Amino acid sequence: MVVQNARLLKDEATEEKGDRARMASFVGAMAIADLVKTTLGPKGMDKILQSTGRGHSVTVTNDGATILKSLHIDNPAAKVLVDISKVQDDEVGDGTTSVVVLAGELLREAEKLVNKKIHPMTIIAGYRMAAECARSALLQKAKDNKQDPDTFKSDLMKIAMTTLSSKILSMDKEQFAKLAVDAVLRLKGSTNLESIHIIKKVGGSLKDSFLDEGFILDKKIGIGQPKRIENAKILVANTAMDTDKVKIYGARVRVDSMAKVAEIEGAEKDKMKDKVQKIINHGINCFVNRQLIYNFPEELFADAGVLAIEHADFDGIERLALVTGGEIASTFDNPESVKLGHCKLIEEIMIGEDKLIHFSGVEMGQACTIVLRGASSHVLDEAERSLHDALCVLSQTVNDSRVLFGGGWPEMIMSKEVDELARKTPGKRSHAIEAFSHALQAIPTIIADNAGLDSAELISQLRAEHHKEITNAGIDVISGGVGDMEKLGISESFKVKQAVLLSATEAAEMILRVDEIITCAPRKREDRM
Amino acid sequence: MAATAAVPRASSSKTESYVDTKRRDDVRQANIIAARAVADAVRTSLGPKGMDKMIASANGEVIITNDGATILNKMEVIQPAAKMLVDLSRSQDAAAGDGTTTVVVLAGSLLKSSLSLLSAGVHPTAVSDALHRLSIRAVDVLHGMAIPLDLSNRDALVKSAATSLNSKVVSQYSSLLAPLAVDAVLSVVDPAQPDIVDLRDVKIVKKLGGTVDDTELVKGLVFDKKVSHSAGGPTRVENAKIAVIQFQISPPKTDIEQSIVVSDYTQMDRILREERNYILGMVKKIKATGCNVLLIQKSILRDAVTDLSLHYLAKVKILVVKDVERDEIEFITKTLNCLPIANIEHFREDKLGFANCVEEASVGDGKIVKITGIKDMGRTTTVLVRGSNQLVLDEAERSLHDALCVVRCLVNKKFLIAGGGAPEIEMSRQLGAWAKELQGMDSYCIKEFAEALEVIPYTLAENAGLNSIVIVTELRNRHAQGEINAGINVRKGQITNILEENIVQPLLVSTSTITLAAECVRMILKIDDIVTVR
Repeated sequence: MVVQNARLLKDEATEEKGDRARMASFVGAMAIADLVKTTLGPKGMDKILQSTGRGHSVTVTNDGATILKSLHIDNPAAKVLVDISKVQDDEVGDGTTSVVVLAGELLREAEKLVNKKIHPMTIIAGYRMAAECARSALLQKAKDNKQDPDTFKSDLMKIAMTTLSSKILSMDKEQFAKLAVDAVLRLKGSTNLESIHIIKKVGGSLKDSFLDEGFILDKKIGIGQPKRIENAKILVANTAMDTDKVKIYGARVRVDSMAKVAEIEGAEKDKMKDKVQKIINHGINCFVNRQLIYNFPEELFADAGVLAIEHADFDGIERLALVTGGEIASTFDNPESVKLGHCKLIEEIMIGEDKLIHFSGVEMGQACTIVLRGASSHVLDEAERSLHDALCVLSQTVNDSRVLFGGGWPEMIMSKEVDELARKTPGKRSHAIEAFSHALQAIPTIIADNAGLDSAELISQLRAEHHKEITNAGIDVISGGVGDMEKLGISESFKVKQAVLLSATEAAEMILRVDEIITCAPRKREDRM
Repeated sequence: MAATAAVPRASSSKTESYVDTKRRDDVRQANIIAARAVADAVRTSLGPKGMDKMIASANGEVIITNDGATILNKMEVIQPAAKMLVDLSRSQDAAAGDGTTTVVVLAGSLLKSSLSLLSAGVHPTAVSDALHRLSIRAVDVLHGMAIPLDLSNRDALVKSAATSLNSKVVSQYSSLLAPLAVDAVLSVVDPAQPDIVDLRDVKIVKKLGGTVDDTELVKGLVFDKKVSHSAGGPTRVENAKIAVIQFQISPPKTDIEQSIVVSDYTQMDRILREERNYILGMVKKIKATGCNVLLIQKSILRDAVTDLSLHYLAKVKILVVKDVERDEIEFITKTLNCLPIANIEHFREDKLGFANCVEEASVGDGKIVKITGIKDMGRTTTVLVRGSNQLVLDEAERSLHDALCVVRCLVNKKFLIAGGGAPEIEMSRQLGAWAKELQGMDSYCIKEFAEALEVIPYTLAENAGLNSIVIVTELRNRHAQGEINAGINVRKGQITNILEENIVQPLLVSTSTITLAAECVRMILKIDDIVTVR
């Protein structure tokens, strides 16, 4: 037993040292990686996330980032992995599962090395060299078809299909890939996904989803107002359309007769009328407000033939202002300084059972709306997440047009190069480099395992195939063998792969460096007796 | 949470190559069993001889229904996979309105076959892919069986509405309700957009008393409200000029808090006088436009009308209906072809609506207001549903809603298909034949699923107290001989050509049943873990 040291830490604060600490973080990280492992690849499985909060709401998902985000975690190393998946989601949008799985595998390999009494720092140095080597291998093999618009578009299609094939949309992936590519190409290189609006409507099936040029607002048109406006001038506002209240607490008026109350009421009405008149004086024929529009102003707008939409959500009006090229106004005294939005046509359309307002021919040509239909809200939510992943990857690829093949091809390429590096490197580091190569091979192994294939057999075939100078071999999950990725049209974005490689390595390195975990005592609630 | 999960996983991580799938299978099996339990719960309510369920909710309320969507909605399931089945019936309700029980029973049966496939060692994704191919092919089969329909063919529409009503509590009234549903939907179809029906244009008003027999279609408006005639106003107005107002005829009230300071006795009289004058002024303005019926929107801030204003309105012979909900305003203005008026200053004649007659009728123990003979009436219609008790009334409303949906489906997609289990057995037969052409896993799975489709005729027969095995095998035989419209005639208890029995349903209901059920089952199959989260 270790001699009891003098107490440094407060009561209840715990401290774990050396091997124990490292063990705890390895176990935590690997548990997380194992949890999401089964969702990887085209035949990956989904998870039910059951909330313990109110309503016990249920989410069905295949998206690593979504699963990890909602977990209860009480292990610091596991938290690091959740964070890298979050970063991956923000940066490139896809590969959120891969990054966690790779980091988990790197740690699994590292654990073995540590057990062989290799110093963690040596492992880190080896990992660093290996990562650098793997990255340059990828760089060499990446293809860039930006100059040729047709091949580039087909590249995009392939990437979208590869991304979607692991998701719920896999059966209709061609349709959705086309939808995503069209939407992203409309952005013309900007990565601002704000102008792609996704509307979910329960009913119909996923096949009925469509891309609409223009903007759709899930709101109703006021009573008695025109249902169709051509060449609309739109004022987007966030203003109170009930009454401008005196915002001093307890303000009140004292009068001595009923007539005066009526006068004040009249004055309030007049004030509203003035406000409406000011708004109409902007020369608009469509008014969209974030707040409620009461009956009285609604009628005034109807009289003036202005289409008034009330209670649009904040997200909705911001996006509407963006796509129509207007600004959100809250004062109406200077019509000149307010930028109005424009669009060619506003009309009411019906999707399923609901009426929505459709703005077409908007100022900002990039804007478009994707209407998703599906059997239930679970399907829709998952479809939205999948589509969002595809959109993110595509918009990244438009900027960085280098592509790689998928299906475990990049991992095998990297692993081969890293293996060679291991042979050239003298010293203990070579063990670590070799371990890195093993970890890389784990990804195709898991893809094969998830598909119910014989992974050991397939990986060895694949490795033999990759020993040749030029190869496009990867795992063909559909036929269950080794296939030519170029012919199968399975592509991935270079940027995603690079991000997976680098952040997984970094995360593994960070966790490896840990040799002590100090858990602070939770703050005590003061007992109130 | 993670700490506890980490312990067993850590031990499995040492033996790398061994893939532990036991737990995953358990989760999947638990899901499937839970979902099938839900399907079994509603199974007995399928078909014309299906039974009803009585649901007692926590607050002591009792509902008797045969409608799958309603039963499932009221069942408080917690198991996530079971919840998905509840959602499934809800989306069938949204997509087609009818067939909410069928879709759940079908999903349950597909899950049952999936379970046996899984235990035979088929990979879940292979099962899921096969199911997807099956659903596409099944829709083709259904299209092949469909009979095109012309909307002018009212008989055919009535038949399909009657088929939907036959399985409900109110089935004995189907001869009344079916034509009513057809007329209601057809009257709201806009000739400019012949494919779209907005069921919100059909208003259903429920009133206790009488029997379902007294249910009627009203060309006009019905309010489940009394005329406010405490001050002796009229209860019947002919040649009505109707105004829908969103302001209040009561003493003024400002948005800022106000108080009237009375400092001496004479002022009180003056204030009372002023109040009278104020209201009288408003009433006079209203009368000046010739208006004689007022519909007043409910207001939460102040009284819509006071006794005083009612008194004045009664004197000038204006009929008043108060407390009209804000959501109803759009429907009312659309029907009356008028505009709502939000301020007394805008009270003009051109905003009024016209009708031949507005009257208060006493119905059962309550009273309703009827507006008939509306000039330039919008494309809306109202159905007044009657019933001897609240339970019957509610069920009648739900059944009528289903019938309306059926007609709507036909307007959307103008195809009919035979009922009585005929489409399911035909799908099962054709898909079974197709499975023999296929190879490998697909063939195996599709054969299994094709058999699962037979659950519908099987259940129909079983619920009707027939010998289901005899019936289904005979049905299979008849279909094999090319009688694609042979189905179960529950009344006669034998197999007949179902088209001759006038048992038809919209194609849309059948197609959405199969696609939605398949989609839901595929989703359940792909789940391998349940994770508890915040």
